[in-house]
Amino acid sequence: MAPGVLIVAVLLYLPFLWTTYLSFTRYRGLGSPEWIGLDNYQAMFSDPALLTSLRNTALWVAGTIIVPVGIGLLIAVLTYNMRFGAWFRLPFLIPYAISGVAVGVIWSFILQSNGALSQALDAFGLPGAESRWLLDAPLNTFVMIGAAAWQASGVNALLFVIGLQSIPKEPVEAAKVDGASGWRMFRSILWPMLRPLTTVVVGLSIVASLKTFDVVYVMTQGGPGRSSETLAITMYRETFVQSEYGQGGAVSVVLTVVTLAASIAYLRRQLSERRAL
Amino acid sequence: MTDRSTMTRFALAGLTAGALLLAACGGDDGNGDDGDANAPGTSNGEARDSGTLKFYTDKAAWEPQFDRVSDASEEQVGWDLDFTGYSDADAYSAFIKQSFRTREKPTLFTWHTGDALAELVDEGMVAPTSDIWAEAIASGDIPADLEQYYTYDGEQYCVPLNVAYWVLYYNKHVFADHGLEAPQTWDDLMHIADTLAAEGIPAFYQTNILFSFVWFQTLLAGSDPDLYEALGTGEASYTDPGVVAVMEQWGDMIEAGYFSDPGLADDPQVLLNNGDVAMLNFGTFFTGSLNELGMVSGEDYDLFVIPNVDPSLDRTSLIVESGPLCAAQEADDRDQALDYLTWWVGAEAQTEWANARGDVSFNPNAEIRDERLAALGEEAGTDEIRLVERYFEATPQPVLTAALDGFGAFVTSPGDPMPILETIQAEADAYWATQ
Repeated sequence: MAPGVLIVAVLLYLPFLWTTYLSFTRYRGLGSPEWIGLDNYQAMFSDPALLTSLRNTALWVAGTIIVPVGIGLLIAVLTYNMRFGAWFRLPFLIPYAISGVAVGVIWSFILQSNGALSQALDAFGLPGAESRWLLDAPLNTFVMIGAAAWQASGVNALLFVIGLQSIPKEPVEAAKVDGASGWRMFRSILWPMLRPLTTVVVGLSIVASLKTFDVVYVMTQGGPGRSSETLAITMYRETFVQSEYGQGGAVSVVLTVVTLAASIAYLRRQLSERRAL
Repeated sequence: MTDRSTMTRFALAGLTAGALLLAACGGDDGNGDDGDANAPGTSNGEARDSGTLKFYTDKAAWEPQFDRVSDASEEQVGWDLDFTGYSDADAYSAFIKQSFRTREKPTLFTWHTGDALAELVDEGMVAPTSDIWAEAIASGDIPADLEQYYTYDGEQYCVPLNVAYWVLYYNKHVFADHGLEAPQTWDDLMHIADTLAAEGIPAFYQTNILFSFVWFQTLLAGSDPDLYEALGTGEASYTDPGVVAVMEQWGDMIEAGYFSDPGLADDPQVLLNNGDVAMLNFGTFFTGSLNELGMVSGEDYDLFVIPNVDPSLDRTSLIVESGPLCAAQEADDRDQALDYLTWWVGAEAQTEWANARGDVSFNPNAEIRDERLAALGEEAGTDEIRLVERYFEATPQPVLTAALDGFGAFVTSPGDPMPILETIQAEADAYWATQ
């Protein structure tokens, strides 16, 4: 256990402690950090752009739980018992094999002004061809959540299928004998028995959505005018664009605290409900 | 057995972690006896008169042109360049800053003038080049006007990597199809934009990312260049009526349909080539991008100096940008790097470099093969032109970042410019209060 602890300490704890220290300093990447106490935190919380960033991050959390988790569950439930179901799920899994940056590039091509989506809507005479998908807020955040869902739904479906296949046959058969099927079967038997797996999928989604960076950075760089910025983009902007390493450190500390707090709160609630059952 | 196994694993993990830590720190031990006989510029501690110099830049796409100059320098002065190019400017900036803390200091590297260079000078990271400048100005290899952008506390640092003048490139076929000619005045230019807008063709390209400042600098430098320069030094406010008027004019031009959609992700050179926009407001470095598409200067495209918005100004404002090529003060091969910079500013090197890039040169003695660029270079040196530093270099970094965000929002949704200008000014107030 000791070697693992040492490696974790050197590679994870030390950088975090260094970042936390920097967050109390003014440091532009040259010379020595200058201790300024809580000034970076004060500046961060008095910046109106942080509110936009927090709002967008909250939208990402809600959107990521509803869309890719929901679609993943739907695909899994509809296909897990189906003949050749794996072949139906395969196309949804393929996007997971590409990087977030590539997803951003592909969807930029689709969603840019006069891009593939607008041209397709125009060709079929459908409304929305004039929409500025990536320029108007909060529409730009919604469509980027859609782009991320395109990538993440498949792997969520795969996880849910594993969960569905591990459900014991007896209660399902018993429910069938009692006449349950369709929605009733899902709500009363499958969904409760999927609970442990759902906890994992939703927990992972919360963490992933709180640190959303790649898709947004490639598609809008948080703009226009910081309108689609997330906390991770704010952290990058302060650190590497502004070269305000201390300010960037403060954002990253807040992001870490928010991520940990959300994860712990969610897992505690889920575990206490399971004990209650 | 178990204990020994645990101890072995512990020792291995400790060694691995220690090695990682040392690699991450990579600090100079200060004794200089690293024993690297192949270190650039030195051989067993003795200076060499030929070899390879490490060179870093955020202009990764320019590698073929740097390779050509590297071949020329190897032939002429015995030194070639070991090229490392970054495509991401932010990652490059972080890399260069961090590399000063390590043993691997960047011997030669490209940077930005203005606030960015001042920061390195303040920390003593770049080697002074006053002697090179004095000699080059005396021999006419560098115009004295450029010196101000490289001077800090009376001393010069780095030398110009290049200069670029910001002009309007235009698609000659689009102009010919609509019976248009290059404008002589601002009214002529607006007439062209009106004519094209009526045909559904955006006259000008603009974007909401990075280059969102371009039309702000054009309109303000062409209306009131003194006010433009005062913004860069903190002596004027972004809420000045002159600045507000320029923003309103810009908004009117956007509303009139003069500009392309700022959300287009296509390359601007492709848009010009296809005739999807008629004109591009870009630095002369852009000539190379057009030539790479097979467009021919004088046949498919041409360029003109943008007329002043205010015709009563004595001289035409011409935006100029100059990027520095620097030597690290504490690099082992600093002296060789400074010799390289001396060669770099000379006419032979600049003839090779400017023609490889398809751009103008800061050196009036360089021979520019593109006749249009050569003529522009001569025009820029006349009394009829007032050279004005590009907004990107003229503006301190925190103010620039706020401005780019603000202008990006404005070109996307033009409206009341005051909230944007007040946000930029708040950033400027905070910055100048600390200077």
